Amino acid sequence: MRTHTSFIFLIIAAISIMGCKGRMEISGKLEGQPEIFPDYRGVTVPDNIAPLDFDYSGNLTSRLIVNGKMLKPKKGGRFIFSKRQWKKWMKENILEMTVAIKENGIWKAYNPFIINVSHDRIDPWFSYRLIPPGYQGWQEMGIYQRNLESYSEKAILTNDLTGGNCMNCHTYLNGDPSKMVFHSRATFGGTVVVNEGEIEKLNTKTDSTISALVYPYWHPSGDLVAFSVNKTLQAFHNHDANRIEVYDEASDVVVYNVNTNEIFWSPLTKAEDRFETFPTFSPDGKWLYFCSAEAVAPMPDKYREARYGLYRIAFNAEDMSFGDSLECVYDAPADSASVSFPRISPDGRFLCFTRHGYGNFSIWHKDADLWMVDLSDGSVKPMENVNSDDVDSFHTWSSDGKWLVFSSRRDDGLYTKPYFTHIDANGNASKPFLLPQKDPKAYYKRLMKSYNLPAFTTDKVSVSKRKLTDVLRNSPGTDVKVK
Amino acid sequence: MNHYALAYREQQQLFMFDKAWIFGTLFKVGGLAALLAQFIVQFFWNPTLALILTLLLLALSGYLLWVAVRGSRKDWRIIPLCLLPACFIGASLSDNSLHFDYLTAILLVETGLVIFKRVHSYRVLWGVILTIILYFTAGPAAILFALCVASRYRKKGFLPIAWFLLLIAVAAACGVAAFFLAVIPTWAAAFTPVFFYDLDATMPAIHWAPWIAILVVYLLTEAVIGTWADSTSPKRERTGKTILTGSLIIFLASLFYSGKIARNFDRKSQLTTYEYEYYTVNDRWDELIAACRHHEWTPGTANYLNLALAMKGQLTEDLFKYDQRGVTSLTFMSQGGNVDVRLAHIMFAMGNMAAAQDISFNILNSLTGYCPNMLKMNSQIELMRGNYTVADKYLSMLEKSLRYRKWAKDQRRFLWNDSAVEADPVLGTGRMDFPKEDGFAMFSNPLEELMRVVEANPSDKKAMEYALSFLLLAKDMDGLVRFVDRYWGAPALQQLPEAAQEALIFYSEYSRNIGSIEPISLEWCLYHGVTESTARRFQAFQQASLQNGGKSPSGYKGTFWNYLLYTEI
Repeated sequence: MRTHTSFIFLIIAAISIMGCKGRMEISGKLEGQPEIFPDYRGVTVPDNIAPLDFDYSGNLTSRLIVNGKMLKPKKGGRFIFSKRQWKKWMKENILEMTVAIKENGIWKAYNPFIINVSHDRIDPWFSYRLIPPGYQGWQEMGIYQRNLESYSEKAILTNDLTGGNCMNCHTYLNGDPSKMVFHSRATFGGTVVVNEGEIEKLNTKTDSTISALVYPYWHPSGDLVAFSVNKTLQAFHNHDANRIEVYDEASDVVVYNVNTNEIFWSPLTKAEDRFETFPTFSPDGKWLYFCSAEAVAPMPDKYREARYGLYRIAFNAEDMSFGDSLECVYDAPADSASVSFPRISPDGRFLCFTRHGYGNFSIWHKDADLWMVDLSDGSVKPMENVNSDDVDSFHTWSSDGKWLVFSSRRDDGLYTKPYFTHIDANGNASKPFLLPQKDPKAYYKRLMKSYNLPAFTTDKVSVSKRKLTDVLRNSPGTDVKVK
Repeated sequence: MNHYALAYREQQQLFMFDKAWIFGTLFKVGGLAALLAQFIVQFFWNPTLALILTLLLLALSGYLLWVAVRGSRKDWRIIPLCLLPACFIGASLSDNSLHFDYLTAILLVETGLVIFKRVHSYRVLWGVILTIILYFTAGPAAILFALCVASRYRKKGFLPIAWFLLLIAVAAACGVAAFFLAVIPTWAAAFTPVFFYDLDATMPAIHWAPWIAILVVYLLTEAVIGTWADSTSPKRERTGKTILTGSLIIFLASLFYSGKIARNFDRKSQLTTYEYEYYTVNDRWDELIAACRHHEWTPGTANYLNLALAMKGQLTEDLFKYDQRGVTSLTFMSQGGNVDVRLAHIMFAMGNMAAAQDISFNILNSLTGYCPNMLKMNSQIELMRGNYTVADKYLSMLEKSLRYRKWAKDQRRFLWNDSAVEADPVLGTGRMDFPKEDGFAMFSNPLEELMRVVEANPSDKKAMEYALSFLLLAKDMDGLVRFVDRYWGAPALQQLPEAAQEALIFYSEYSRNIGSIEPISLEWCLYHGVTESTARRFQAFQQASLQNGGKSPSGYKGTFWNYLLYTEI
């Protein structure tokens, strides 16, 4: 009833506004809401987000009425908002949008939709890797950052500077752009640690570990980084909708000391009979969370049998010691499921993870959904507002824990795109919105790369691309030792 | 310069009439040169046209250089000399790791020289401006411009040195800026032709030759024109003749030498691959067969030949009419298998769509641009999978090109139309080819994966022929019997190819004489497609073999029997 009233009000408003120009008179109603891309209907956005330009998918002449103001689309049905007008609107709590179309000479309006405006500001930058979603052949890839308050995108490092190699796993200490770690592979390979302007290249393969360091997570002290070490392989399904399978033949979790260049571990994070991966420190640094599965062999024959649960072990950063027992946080295998990418909110209350049927590389699993653990009572539930029928995976919290960014293949089933959702005090997520672009339909249609590993930063990553390149190309690197 | 090598360049890129793509290419160091190169190379789908266009551009390069260096139109005698750099550029372009923008960048530099020549006031300023513009549009080739311009400054005194140093400094500053802004990876790429070479590959020193030749021509022609202008009649006429003769001799010598350089780059194996790929991507199967017959046998050549036979529906029938040496004749797994165009086409023909997609997707993303043929293959496989949004994405890209627009528009009728896909001979067959059971592509041996395809879709004739051919080439008689027993009468095996008949009749005869294997009867053979005529021919073959003392009897060269008994694998 409320919608209906507001709809009539809007029509009257529209008629009166347009009436001044003597051009447009809405005299008909259409069922449902208009099809738009990106689907911003009912989403919640931060008030510092760039304008959410969108395309109306219909072919007929259209108009958009936003809070009583009429907009004409650009060619192809694209509605563009001026920065000034958008900023003004962002001071309000709700934007009500009505799309009207001209059918047989008569203007008809769809039911309006709303965009909720949250005054919890989002971290202004986020970074990601752009890579073709095959992960085997590429000419171009790079780690980029994007200002969420505008459409500005800058490269942090691109692989044309480092011999066309692979680079991955960029991670920040709770969004601090001055503390970053990432890996570079092949000829100019090494792990790069950026620590307040200092850049260090590490050679991280040791005789005691099965591989070079892989998935990282910073300890809140900034002196330690937890890593997994993985023997990872990849195969292409011959008919499965998941297309690619990435699986581990072995994996462990270790901790790296930034100051001494040493790695250490607990026998419980490096057990022979288990696969341990995706380490994450709690915000107080007293717990190390990770995913762990009973080891299965041979791979890939038994790849569907590898199911990871969520565990934690006590950790003392002062004497670098681990607790003597593991605590199961979520026994996913008992639910015939598997867990990956645990990430804890900065206040320590919630842990968001990806849940899927088996394995650990959820980005290729169509059943992958985001779930949340309330660490205050241990309850586990899916983030229903967020999940789609396709992959919803890798996620990162904003520095204040009010926003979450994650990767989803919901639009086309192949190219992952970043979606943002607001998380309220009770851990409830709003309907997520796709990263805004100047010309979103054309941009995302043209895009031949996936947005990979989205991560918020509180400010721009200002490390020099040249310095990174020089370190990778010319520095022999520091060998990591085992403590 | 080989015309197939030039045509191969066309498959390394996709020029799109798309504003964002064009501006994205343009706003990079050397962007205009790259964009012009890609625009021209899009027409290289026809090898003859590719050669003509390249020769025209080389001629244009010579002409522009002549316009830049001549005193007046009367200086026509130095034209052959001005073609000297073009000879070396042509030779360098035989190296496919050297990008075509090497040539377009030189054309831009020469255009800059012509413009600069016509400037008569504020020359220092113009020199600086043009150097900067050229660095942005043509990359480090701008340094060549600065060197040419600076080397011809004629005023005496302190200024010429300052002028020379200024221009070199501006060009160097552009290189330094590009390096420190990290838009160029190395110092070498910032200042030398390495910029135009494959990323981080070692560039042969010979690719310096065109740059050096332009500088030499610039200096030499100044001296030559000066001598001719200073001389008086009748000496002048003699000087003119000497200039023309010298110019011609230098040109011919450089033409000869650059031909030798080009031949060094034109490795025969690589050239034949370019030729095969040209026929393959254009579906010219008869020409591919002819080319494969013409060239020396290699596993790659055999793969292309058999692919062409399969595409013509004659693989098993004609298999032994050609030189076959085991199953590698069908699929040879090279080291770089995941970016091998040949393998992508073979997997596609075999109906192993997952493998074809895995390989073609990697190729698509491993090149500087997007390989059009692999983009076509990917869009077809996405249509087969029913992933219409992704197929739409790829078709939209192809629609923005000149060459592939029509094809892409035609494919649009399959989008979100399952019944149209299923009714299409290629897409419908491909959709049914996806194996029903779980497994990975390119993981086990090709035959095992092929068997899964045949099991999923026994009406795929190409897959059926490839499977039969695998068994025949492997001399796997047990496997062949089991296969025929399983699939005889299937939609794609209503008639048994002659080579398979020959194998079965042979097996029938010998299995009855060897106790360790399960015998098959003549009746079984006749029931499973072996004809009386084949049975009679086999008897004749046996007699001929005996008469020939166990050596290969004449008249049976194209038979499975000959392959089985006289070809070692």
